[in-house]
Amino acid sequence: MTQDHERIDELLAGYALLALSGPDAEEADRLLSEHVPSCARCHATLSDLQALSGDLALAADPVAPPDTLLPRLHRAIDEVPLAGRPPRRGALVGLAVSVLALVAMGGLSFTLGNRLTDAETRAGTALEILSLMRSPGAEPVSLSPQGETPASSGLVEVSAPNVRRLYLASERCPEPAPGKAYQLWLGGGGTWVAVGEMFRPEGGVVLLELEVDTSTYDEIWITEEPIGAAPQEPSTDGLSWRADL
Amino acid sequence: MREEDLPDLELHRRLSGGDRLAFDELYRRFGGSAYGVALRVTAQELIAQEVVQEAFLAIWRAPEAFDPARGAFRSFFLSLVHHRAVDAVRREERLRRRTERASNLEPVVGEDPAEDVVTDAYLGVRRKEVREALATLPVEQRQVLDMAYFGGKTQAVIAEELEIPIGTVKTRTFAAMRKLRAALAGEDEG
Repeated sequence: MTQDHERIDELLAGYALLALSGPDAEEADRLLSEHVPSCARCHATLSDLQALSGDLALAADPVAPPDTLLPRLHRAIDEVPLAGRPPRRGALVGLAVSVLALVAMGGLSFTLGNRLTDAETRAGTALEILSLMRSPGAEPVSLSPQGETPASSGLVEVSAPNVRRLYLASERCPEPAPGKAYQLWLGGGGTWVAVGEMFRPEGGVVLLELEVDTSTYDEIWITEEPIGAAPQEPSTDGLSWRADL
Repeated sequence: MREEDLPDLELHRRLSGGDRLAFDELYRRFGGSAYGVALRVTAQELIAQEVVQEAFLAIWRAPEAFDPARGAFRSFFLSLVHHRAVDAVRREERLRRRTERASNLEPVVGEDPAEDVVTDAYLGVRRKEVREALATLPVEQRQVLDMAYFGGKTQAVIAEELEIPIGTVKTRTFAAMRKLRAALAGEDEG
């Protein structure tokens, strides 16, 4: 038995290091399903070896990731809602209730805060927006409805200098035409750049968070665009809102 | 569970609630170490960035994968990064292209981390402990550990490259792990 366990220990060490192949890997798989779960000794050995494997990473010098990595992560997080947890948009809507009401911004009166069930998410994200609102130079910008766009459909942009984040909010945003969605554009020097994914309101509510540095742009424009297309420039027909930054 | 690991537990608890600030704190705390090991294993900046991104997204989307009863969050997360790095390097079949430097696990006791990397003091303490423990290993044991862990090589490949029986590789590997485990636990290795 002792000899068996010595052999198993060696296999488990190789397994913890991802260094097994061929028959050894197959035997380790078998041991992990048939023996280890019922053997306290091997179970403890495997846990120790796996913890050690994690700590071995510290032997490598830490290296600062590129500045672009965290914004990429934020974007990826926003793109995929979390199963079993409040969706990002819901969280932000709830936050908008307290934060925007707190600053009495533009007469907005969101009413969807009761969608939230996770107080931690609410509190955590509230700090993000509060932090942004407290940033020097932060101020909400009301976007003006263009053309036939209903006058009551206010959209508000919130950003701050030196903060690579922009929030877009509305409580009465009309549904876009069938087959269409809204696209946010930022403009500067006569050039427009599509920012973020296209979006549609939910029950009239829009609340977007985008990782972007607005300091290099002069204007913001929301336009109605065909879903599935990758618009190269803002459409001039359909609903739209626009403002100087 | 060491007292130094408790802040990580709190971070994980907040992460489980979808707390974005906790995610950012996790990134600040482990981003440098994660990117460091990913870069060491893959020796490719873009691949290392993908590895780190995948690991952070994985823990964000499935924080329940970490079981506090099974050890420190630090070990779990860095192990996750390492696994993904090894997977990536094997997938890309770049094992033979990497430089000797990238797979050289010469422990550097007392070396300071890169100046522009933000790391917690406690991670620095653990890093020093790990490096000091590695320095106690016989060269032949450290070599197989290095080739497996940072080289991403299987024991069969290591045996072939070193021209030694695979049984010897297995024995040296486990002996190295046993000594490291004892050293890091503050035990006398028998």
